Amino acid sequence: MEAIYQYAWLVPVLPLIGAMIVGIGLISFNKFTNSLRQVWSIFIVSIMGMTMTLAFAIFWSQYTGHPPYTQIIEWASAGDFRLNMGYTIDHLSALMLVVVTTVAFLVMIYTDGYMAHDPSYVRFYAYLSLFSSSMLGLVISPNLVQVYIFWELVGMCSYLLIGFWYGRKPAADACQKAFVTNRVGDFGLLLGMLGLFWCTRSFDFAVIGERLENLVESGALSGAVAALFAILVFLGPVAKSAQFPLHVWLPDAMEGPTPISALIHAATMVAAGVFLVARMFPVFENIPAAMNVIAWTGCFTAFLGASIAITQNDIKKGLAYSTMSQLGYMVMGLGVGAYTAGLFHLMTHAYFKAMLFLGSGSVIHGMEGVVGHDPAYAQDMRLMGGLRKYMPITAITFLIGTLAISGIPPFAGFWSKDEILGKTFEANPAMWLVGWLTAGITAFYMFRMYFSTFEGKFRGEDVSVKETIRIERLQAQGFSMGPGAMNSQELAVADEAHDDHDHSHGHHSHEPHESPLSMTFPLMALAVPSILIGLVGTPFANYFEEFIHAPGEVVPPLGAEVDLPEFLTMGGSSIGIALIGITLASLMYLRHKVNPAAIAEKIPVLYNLSKNKWYIDDIYNAVFVNGSRRLARQVLEVDSKVVDGLVNLAGFVTVFTGETLKYFENGRAQFYALIVFAAVLGLVIFSGVTG
Amino acid sequence: MNNQIPWLTIITLFPLVASFLIPVIPDKQGKTLRWYALSVGLIDFALIAYALWQNYDLQDSGFQLVERYAWIPQIGLNWSLAVDGISMPLIVLAGLVTTLSIMAGWQVTHKPRLFYFLMLAMYSAQIGVFCAQDILLFFFMWELELVPVYMLISIWGGPRRLYAATKFILYTAIGSIFILVAALAMAFYGGNVTFDMAELGLKNYPLGFELLMYAALIIAYGVKLPIFPLHTWLPDAHGEASAPVSMILAGVLLKMGGYAIIRMNVEMLPDAHYYFAPVLAILGVVNIVYGALVSFAQTNLKRRMAYSSISHMGFVLLGIASYTELGMSGAVLQMLSHGLIAAALFFLAGVTYDRTHTLAMEKMGGLAKSMPTVFALFTIGSMASLALPGMSGFVGELAVFLGFATSDSYTSTFKVVVVLLSAIGLILTPIYLLSMLREVFYGKQTEELSQQILLDAKPREVFIAACLLIPVIGVGLYPKLVTQYYDVKTVEVATRARTAASAIAHQPVQVFTQASAAPKLTAGPELLGILK
Repeated sequence: MEAIYQYAWLVPVLPLIGAMIVGIGLISFNKFTNSLRQVWSIFIVSIMGMTMTLAFAIFWSQYTGHPPYTQIIEWASAGDFRLNMGYTIDHLSALMLVVVTTVAFLVMIYTDGYMAHDPSYVRFYAYLSLFSSSMLGLVISPNLVQVYIFWELVGMCSYLLIGFWYGRKPAADACQKAFVTNRVGDFGLLLGMLGLFWCTRSFDFAVIGERLENLVESGALSGAVAALFAILVFLGPVAKSAQFPLHVWLPDAMEGPTPISALIHAATMVAAGVFLVARMFPVFENIPAAMNVIAWTGCFTAFLGASIAITQNDIKKGLAYSTMSQLGYMVMGLGVGAYTAGLFHLMTHAYFKAMLFLGSGSVIHGMEGVVGHDPAYAQDMRLMGGLRKYMPITAITFLIGTLAISGIPPFAGFWSKDEILGKTFEANPAMWLVGWLTAGITAFYMFRMYFSTFEGKFRGEDVSVKETIRIERLQAQGFSMGPGAMNSQELAVADEAHDDHDHSHGHHSHEPHESPLSMTFPLMALAVPSILIGLVGTPFANYFEEFIHAPGEVVPPLGAEVDLPEFLTMGGSSIGIALIGITLASLMYLRHKVNPAAIAEKIPVLYNLSKNKWYIDDIYNAVFVNGSRRLARQVLEVDSKVVDGLVNLAGFVTVFTGETLKYFENGRAQFYALIVFAAVLGLVIFSGVTG
Repeated sequence: MNNQIPWLTIITLFPLVASFLIPVIPDKQGKTLRWYALSVGLIDFALIAYALWQNYDLQDSGFQLVERYAWIPQIGLNWSLAVDGISMPLIVLAGLVTTLSIMAGWQVTHKPRLFYFLMLAMYSAQIGVFCAQDILLFFFMWELELVPVYMLISIWGGPRRLYAATKFILYTAIGSIFILVAALAMAFYGGNVTFDMAELGLKNYPLGFELLMYAALIIAYGVKLPIFPLHTWLPDAHGEASAPVSMILAGVLLKMGGYAIIRMNVEMLPDAHYYFAPVLAILGVVNIVYGALVSFAQTNLKRRMAYSSISHMGFVLLGIASYTELGMSGAVLQMLSHGLIAAALFFLAGVTYDRTHTLAMEKMGGLAKSMPTVFALFTIGSMASLALPGMSGFVGELAVFLGFATSDSYTSTFKVVVVLLSAIGLILTPIYLLSMLREVFYGKQTEELSQQILLDAKPREVFIAACLLIPVIGVGLYPKLVTQYYDVKTVEVATRARTAASAIAHQPVQVFTQASAAPKLTAGPELLGILK
């Protein structure tokens, strides 16, 4: 068994090698490399398969009781300072390895179908492999610096993948937004890391926690400062896991191809924030102020995400807000000290949300056959409907995912969400109430999504809906308001500028079609854990808790007495509110007994708040984006007028202006300079030779 | 010592001597000359590598490969060369960047003889600056490099080249006067007249005199580095210079400023450094934030990168001011790393300019479609420049941050303010660099550009960029590749500076700094496993 630990470093290195080989091929022999397409995809997928096998072996060894294993090397040094890097395999990292590799493996298979016609197919595989490598490096990091390193690397991969279709302006804007927002989080993480290092002289998670506690207890460090450092570190997860107030990048990140929305922006990278909070748990758990901030951030984000998801018409945007909301649950769980529950939800969510995203990709793929390759049409649920008839596999798997996320037993999401809610209730009933209401909203918007996509009548060729979408888009781009206020010529120009896919309308079919096997197979494969994986963590036999629990926490033995009435009350109330949400959704979107538009008109303030994402993007745009531009321009003014002017003036230009500049600018000066240069050289050499 | 092969003299003078043959080389198709210049560059680079590989001892923090010949004994001028941990990596950097920039200037058709002559002369001058151990010789080499730069900008530059070149020569020449005056003042101070830099460092100057010298030198080197507010020549020079010149300018010449600050201000004037270090730290922060903001407002590709250089050089100042081994090591690494990254980015900007014939970013856009390889290389360069982990810039900046944060020489408040403000630079850097990528490469092509044929990078261009970027990634993956070459030296510099500082701090006059240690650890020493 030792051997797999000695070679565990191969887990991140294998995909890295794959990415490098393809990447170097693309830079050096672009045409040739691109022409090989499936040779490369099979190569990358097999490497991922090997990695996955290794990850399973490691997981099994850990499960059967192998002690944690850490291997480090000295990475950098200066004087007495030593910085070590390496890898550590313990229960948490073994679990993350399995989650990441399985999702990555399935997403890579799916990609073959989804990106089949894309000219940059090979480049996409290179990026996917690079991302997997960084993510796997992140989860086996033994210390905070190494986490930071891979943290930024996954951020870069996310940047590259969001901006994958670089010709699209929204993609270009979104990738920059994602990177910069994440840098704001990293700024906090770096400062927190520096602060913690300054007072504890260590980057090791456990050591920091222990020493920080000692310092605070002995009074050498004020508790407020310790809390400040902890909250600064938490800023990193806030950005990475799309928590309020740094969540704005995630919905925009949906501009990237759907496979990466599933892999990066649902299952793995966004969960890295939750993972870091879990890793830093020894530090956080001793600081109640930090734990409260974490819990409330998660709680509010869960509600915020769900409240926005209700009104989204773009299927991927809806799922993105739902991801944000679910991440909020995880963070809230960790914040109230429910370490196991938070990570359990991370795992179940990774599987069912990856499946939902891949399902939405399959839907989009099918829709593109009808409405063309324009995300504004292909992703809009108002144009879908009745797809169950055309794409049965996608519909069934999507339904499973919807049931899982809504918290209906025995699907995976029920067990993990219920565990979080139960623990939250113990800690803070107010927080539980928000979480519980959010669970109802979740069930509502997910079933709204399912019903409007798969049930009812297919609306893909409805011209009036298309027209509405087109006008909405133009309005969003700042053209004059209202359909009447715009002359047709203006519309045509605007359309042309933003939609170059329209000319391919000719050969569209009238019905969507089921996706190829390479896309449906991952869906079916992911359906299995989405149904069953929750059973490893039921309150009756919590194998998950036995394997994953906070360092130092005492876990009740398997088969211990379960407080059945409590479980039934908590679970029953969760199921109850989920059923209410589902019923409402079916009344509104399946049976059309209640008209959602009428409700929206009755509460325009709330409707607009949700529809406009609580205006957070607009506020950020006005304050930060425009603010920083204005500041930069003002500083430039100062630079060119004041600094440049003053130095020029005060220094020497007064003496030389006019005369010298004119003299220099007639071009003869270079000739003189050359002569002087030669003369000096000559003199020096002469004196060198003779002296 | 003189019976050995005088390696440093050879590598310093070889390009200059070889450049004198340029006027007589027959060059009908204009191809012989560039091969000649490139061979000279490569041979010299190989000599540098060989000489250092064979003779340089990593464990020795003192001067090595020392050579000293009386040159003009009448005035006491010696031809005195040596290398140590700080100059050695910079010499390698100078050799690499200059050789690659000769290759980047492959298509110079206007006055090629003069061009290659000046490039080779500059090659010698740069290595001379880093090797010189005699302050007059140093000054001479410093001046020797100015004239070629001036001419390279004013003859091969853009439309406003004369203004830029004049500004450059005036700023740096005035700066040089300060070096000369300070050098002479220090040389003639006290009884013994000497120009030897090591001996100058041993002299005991009164504090007032030392402060004055320090101020004079910091102005001179502040122009070069550049330090706010002496930086305004740089964007003009970069904006107008052609790609090969920009590569050397950003890659090597700016580092001469940082090198000279460590060599003279810190090593020779440690008492004054104690008083000036907080000023350097503040200037460093100003450089970082101010440079980044102005860079964001620029619309010209090369001017944006020029201000980015100013921002990155701020970290060098912070590291120098930190008084810790880690900070000093970070400062040197930041210089090396920026030398490679900036050279790569300026080269790629030149590659782009060759196709688009404009540097105005608003006129570009959507270039990724027709130039995917340039786009990929540009992205790697920008990522390196925004200190992405896995690349050298990150290691340098992290070391500076850690060094400054753990420094015992400043009050906590001062450290918090400095670290916080310079960390804001971390947010600003991706804003301007990624906006640059977005404006140049993302989106759709403008009408003007789509009429031109935009060829992707040629193998020669990929090769040059790769030569610069591979070391960047290598160092980022394993920093000890480079830090081991100068670690003993930076440790020595930082230790000496701290000793001098604590000697002053114990005197009655305390100016700004008060030692404030980190809170005492109550944990036992066995917990210090990671630190030792």
